[in-house]
Amino acid sequence: MTSSNPNVQLQPNKAIEISSLNKWYGDHHVLRDVTLDIYEGEIMVICGPSGSGKSTLIRSLNHLEEYQDGHVAIFGQPLARDRRSDRLIHNTMGMVFQSFNLFPHLTVLQNCTLGLTWLKKMPDQAAEKFALTLLDRVGIAHLASRYPGQISGGQQQRVAISRSLAMEPKIMLFDEPTSALDPEMVKEVLDVMMDLSKTGMTMVCVTHEMQFARQVADRVVFMADGEIVEVGPPEQVLVNPEWDRTKDFLQHVL
Amino acid sequence: MEKIHSDTERDDYKPLKKFVASPARPPKRETHGVIGTIRKRFFNSIGNSLLTCIALAVLFYLGKWIVNWAVIDAVFVADTRRQCFDTSPDGACWAGVISWFNGLIYGRFPVQEQWRVNLGVVIGIVWLLPLLSKRIPLRGAILLSWVALFPFVGAYLFLGGRFGQELGLFHGIMTCAAFGYLLLIYLNLIKALIGSKTIAVAGLHLLFVPFLEKRLSRRVVAISSMLVWGGLSAIAALFLSSFDLPLVPIERWGGLFLTFIIAGFSITMAIPVGVILALGRRSKLRVIHWLSLGVIEIVRSVPLITVLFMAVTLLPIFMPSDVEFNKLSQVLVAVCIFAGAYMAENIRGGLQAIPKGQFEAATTLGFGYWQTMFLIVLPQALRMMIPNIMTSFISLLKDTTLVSIIGLFDIMLMARNIANDKDWVGMHTEPLVLIAILFFVLCFSMSQYSLNLEKRIKVDR
Ligand SMILES: Nc1ncnc2c1ncn2[C@@H]1O[C@H](COP(=O)(O)OP(=O)(O)O)[C@@H](O)[C@H]1O
Ligand SMILES: [Mg+2]
Repeated sequence: MTSSNPNVQLQPNKAIEISSLNKWYGDHHVLRDVTLDIYEGEIMVICGPSGSGKSTLIRSLNHLEEYQDGHVAIFGQPLARDRRSDRLIHNTMGMVFQSFNLFPHLTVLQNCTLGLTWLKKMPDQAAEKFALTLLDRVGIAHLASRYPGQISGGQQQRVAISRSLAMEPKIMLFDEPTSALDPEMVKEVLDVMMDLSKTGMTMVCVTHEMQFARQVADRVVFMADGEIVEVGPPEQVLVNPEWDRTKDFLQHVL
Repeated sequence: MEKIHSDTERDDYKPLKKFVASPARPPKRETHGVIGTIRKRFFNSIGNSLLTCIALAVLFYLGKWIVNWAVIDAVFVADTRRQCFDTSPDGACWAGVISWFNGLIYGRFPVQEQWRVNLGVVIGIVWLLPLLSKRIPLRGAILLSWVALFPFVGAYLFLGGRFGQELGLFHGIMTCAAFGYLLLIYLNLIKALIGSKTIAVAGLHLLFVPFLEKRLSRRVVAISSMLVWGGLSAIAALFLSSFDLPLVPIERWGGLFLTFIIAGFSITMAIPVGVILALGRRSKLRVIHWLSLGVIEIVRSVPLITVLFMAVTLLPIFMPSDVEFNKLSQVLVAVCIFAGAYMAENIRGGLQAIPKGQFEAATTLGFGYWQTMFLIVLPQALRMMIPNIMTSFISLLKDTTLVSIIGLFDIMLMARNIANDKDWVGMHTEPLVLIAILFFVLCFSMSQYSLNLEKRIKVDR
């Protein structure tokens, strides 16, 4: 599985281990025996038709959703429903949402510094300086004093990425970060993600941007009906899929 | 991909036209001039013209009658109501209101001690003054300190009494702490003003080590500001202990002053109590949920008068017999719970309007329940509910006049007392008109302020 990526060969540590995860909404079986290992520094893209359980899967990783059966471990530490696990999750994983979810009553800068000052107990000036370097990295330091309602969707999503990065996570989860954006803004966000992928960050991205997947992903997961249909390097899954379901889907999105 | 490639190749030989947007034009505006506008608004049909004329006539006669009664035929100088009648039987007798004016404002507060009331009001306003400037940070801390500490200053000034005797030890200490904090705020402001930079410190920030502020950890800063605060409080204590304010028992408080105390207290406590009840109602812990729900629903389905009567008659029964309650504190507790229950529903509405994504974003960043609530959710919910909250405040202000029914000498009871004065027997109208005007001015400015606030917050977003 790891043969195609030199990165992964050098660091075979598992960042996330998912073993036979099962989840039901009532009687609706939305995750069925999902088993997947994600290695440190790996860029994993998850794709699949709408309703196949992609969001549910990555939201289970950081306990935004509960699951009834199976295990998740982060850096070798199994997660449970307790304080310690929650702390581990929040210290290691950041998340970017489809709908940005910026705090509308705070400025762009304050969105990024809130966690630094209140959770990391950083002094104000240091926090602002750090947040500004992050905002500069995604190219919007000049908008630091605006409110989220005063900037475009693409800019908001870049702020959301900086806000997550400010907490210095080791793993970033992206749930369709570009799906709510106008086509012309998709690229600016993907560019930021591409830059991020070069820093050795472990990334799990749910996305329909196949171009991005091909260029950046180490492996691609294709999901359907709550199951993983196939996993592999992008040139394998996206170009020569083994399953009809995958081919069907690719014909629709490409 | 291949297909797109061939597309571009095919178009290559055809030079592209350069697109330049045509210049923007100003929108068309209809202009009529003043007369045109009036005609268009008020006289655009026969029916409308007729209505306009009738309304004007009514306004004219009403206005003339009011001006005649209140100004032209009114008597401003007289010793008794009889004299008023003799001078001008159809006019208002403002002389009575004027001679009772002091009572309407201060109730039966001794005249030579009334400066204390004025001083208290001035201190309260001065404390809040820094809130007016947007450049001052930590305004939340200043407001919070006002809510938490100013009541002690107020009670100290209004009530008086010697340290350790009528004035309890705890109350004395809190009063000194309050004065110390006020000094801290203003010294910080002065320091920041002199320090030429934008005003960078206020409230809990450090006073005497500005150079170190950047390098010291928050804990050191917090501890040293505590020490500075303690020192200032000690100075305040030395100063205050050289005075002896004569005791003015609560029974002598009254008039507009008392109305303001009750309204001010209930308005400031409404939000904290409301937040507690609203969060309680959303709580997953069943006991807390049912308790909050019970308080909210019971209080909301009972008239304020009943709540007041219950507070005055029932509260002493439930309390241990050695705790002695005066009527005012019973009323304050009652009004506070009443206001809180209504506010809780406002706040709950605001909380429900906060999208789930805000909670999720906060959780993934690592914020816990209370931090999420106080840093992210409540600020948004409260902003969203400003119009409703202001409406509640306005009705609270008006509702406080009900306390006259249980015998507190607020402005309403003082007004009715005028009619019992042997010099002004039966004079009801004029004081009530005065109170109506007063309340109109207060409530109207509150509602204007709320509109203004709404606009400012819209600009923010
Ligand atoms: N809160 C919910 N209650 C019931 N069913 C849900 C809920 N959220 C998602 N589902 C169902 O779970 C399945 C997976 O959803 P989701 O993970 O959001 O899919 P995806 O992100 O791949 O589009 C869908 O069939 C959806 O209808
Ligand atoms: Mg989804």
